[in-house]
Amino acid sequence: MANPELSQPPRPSLMRRYFRRVSGENAWFVLLLIPAVVILLGVIVIPMLWTLKMSLANTSVSVVGGRGSVGGQFVGWRNYIFLLTDPQFWVALRETLYFWIVSIGIEVTLGIGMALLLNRPFRGFWLVRAVIFIPWAIPTVVNATLWGMIFNGNNYGALNDLLLRWHWIAAPVVWLNPSPLFARIPWLSHALSAIGSNLAINAIIVGDEWKTLPLVAFLVLAGLQMIPQDFYEAARIEGASAWTQFNKITLPLIGPVLSVVLILRTMQLLRAFTILFTLEGYGLPVLSIGAYQQAFSFGNFGIGSAEAFIIGVMALVIAYFYVRKLYREEMQ
Amino acid sequence: MHFWRKFSLAAAGLTMVVAGCGSSPSATPSSSSVHTITLNVLYMNQAGYTTQVLQKMGQEFAAKYRSDHVHVHFTFLPYPEMHNAIVTAAAAPTAQYDVVLSDLIWTAEFAQKGYTIPLNSDINRYISNPQGIPSAIWNGFTINGKIMAMPFLANFQNFYYNKKMLQQAGFSGPPKTMNQWLAQMVALKQKGIVQYPYEDSWKQAEGLTCDYVRTAGEFGAHLFNKQGQPIMNQGGALQALTFMHKLYQDGLVNPNSLTADEPTAADAFASGQAAFNTNWTFVTGIMNTPSESKIVGDGVVGTFPVQPGTNTATGTASVSGFQGLAIPANVPANMQTWAWKWIQFATSPQVQAQHLHSQWPVWSSVASSSQEQQLNPAYAVYEANLAGVYNRPKVANYLQVSAIIQQYVHEAIQGTIPVQTAANDMVQQITALGK
Repeated sequence: MANPELSQPPRPSLMRRYFRRVSGENAWFVLLLIPAVVILLGVIVIPMLWTLKMSLANTSVSVVGGRGSVGGQFVGWRNYIFLLTDPQFWVALRETLYFWIVSIGIEVTLGIGMALLLNRPFRGFWLVRAVIFIPWAIPTVVNATLWGMIFNGNNYGALNDLLLRWHWIAAPVVWLNPSPLFARIPWLSHALSAIGSNLAINAIIVGDEWKTLPLVAFLVLAGLQMIPQDFYEAARIEGASAWTQFNKITLPLIGPVLSVVLILRTMQLLRAFTILFTLEGYGLPVLSIGAYQQAFSFGNFGIGSAEAFIIGVMALVIAYFYVRKLYREEMQ
Repeated sequence: MHFWRKFSLAAAGLTMVVAGCGSSPSATPSSSSVHTITLNVLYMNQAGYTTQVLQKMGQEFAAKYRSDHVHVHFTFLPYPEMHNAIVTAAAAPTAQYDVVLSDLIWTAEFAQKGYTIPLNSDINRYISNPQGIPSAIWNGFTINGKIMAMPFLANFQNFYYNKKMLQQAGFSGPPKTMNQWLAQMVALKQKGIVQYPYEDSWKQAEGLTCDYVRTAGEFGAHLFNKQGQPIMNQGGALQALTFMHKLYQDGLVNPNSLTADEPTAADAFASGQAAFNTNWTFVTGIMNTPSESKIVGDGVVGTFPVQPGTNTATGTASVSGFQGLAIPANVPANMQTWAWKWIQFATSPQVQAQHLHSQWPVWSSVASSSQEQQLNPAYAVYEANLAGVYNRPKVANYLQVSAIIQQYVHEAIQGTIPVQTAANDMVQQITALGK
């Protein structure tokens, strides 16, 4: 009886099988994919793993024998434990979540509202669309500086000057100072402070939304324009009100676009840095600024990396729920 | 397989070509095959000597060493980015900068972590008269006997006042005591001469720590005792914090001070919106420049008011902001020689004497020269304030300590936390850092 193992040709190695599979018509596909994979590995995967490694060590910069390096002893979860037991971290988390939730809220409501307005044909609507999009083209640092001038706390600050001329305020308001809101109503002031609301962060949200809202509106507008008009005509014939049309047709059908916008903006808002740092320096603690301060100002690269990694994980978790909801809706 | 071999070879070749495009930042062969030495210098573009003055110094240095083909390349950064740039550059195997501008508050950190090298041997060998620089300045850069930077900028704070406004309020001169200062501010406000008599840089940043150290100094106190323990919750340091809060509460200081940095506060003073400003030496130039100032001829620099019975030796109290030139530890040995030559050149009394209009010199001989007296009629006031400087704490984790001070002083001033509570919390947190 012949040995079946001997009668069969030897099994090719894994690498050989892989190359055999891609050597045909898939070869170009794989070849064209390589740059993207290399870039993703180089600028996302490897830095993320490196950050994780740094966050698990007592990482610092050292110069030994005339050569500089970054390294440190493995300390396990100590940096994460330090952060989670540090009251400053929780203050920064609160500010970050406030910044994210309020910004997202404004973007969803006003963004959809703006998109609905822009979706109606009117004279010169191309011009209006172009003008509205201008803020998005302004670099973030320039936008921050611009709003710094508008919110300048002296009487020559643009907003103060306007409000003083209109006699809406008696004295200049220091908009960019993180002072409590409604200080004359203690219970309200405390309640707002407890959720991370103060004058400065709300002013910065206004400045940030001025730049970002047009992008959100245009993405939603793109979604609106893909909805067939037949749906609305049918609904009108059935006697559906404007609200019912919006609730039953518009909102579900722009859902996928909205989910993408939410994912994109959540990622941006949780790691928001430029506008906050330009206007406040280290004076308004959010997680991204805390991570930067720990690493580059205090030299605690391990703790800074841990804080940065927490921001990344938070963004991933939130994005996961968005994506899951998106796919569920698409499956239905 | 043949394809993959070709592809791999092509990729390797391309990599080598791309890698070959890089060049050493320090020694660059020019097209005429002359070996040019490029000295990379990190400097700030915020205060001290202007970028134009630095460029001119660089050209003069290159001219001096023309036969060696030396070129000085400057990187100018805002002050708040300087520390981060130095630390990041220290992480590289070979230095990005051959000379860096080092603030005195980083001395202990850089010495402990070995980011810059001690300059004792070069100073002992090449600086013939180190006593020509005041000991207060040397002390700022010396830790455990190691001199970590060569003094370059003798920056300190001055007391600026608008004499016209004071005259309008009925005062013949600036205040000498803290109570007189307070009375003058109250009078200026009550008489409607100015809405906010005082503007300062109380943004939650390093400038706030400087102002707190100086105000405590005006009350004759330090923030730390001789054992290095924080004492903000008692004595003069607590009085200083109470004083700052009172100024805010009574509307004597512009509330915008809470978001203002030094240039913003200087602009407010120069535009006639404040009668008093306590700021670095650069304000002298601004207030006397017609294109930048509405108070030319009215702005005067004076000594600081102090609490009676304190600061008897100097009669004033300022805060130091000295900056020096340092050599990063990862600078190759051959470039360290050129780095020192540049430091010796830029900090020399001869070069500093050429740029008196831009910066107060570190050398006493230059500061008291007839040239300086002619350029700066208030040179005697400068010398008094320099003699009366208080230093910020010299600790390796200074930036962490300062961040705590900034946070609680900011909150105490605006009253979100009672002054005593803020001072106690500040002491508690700073003490916990050392454990």
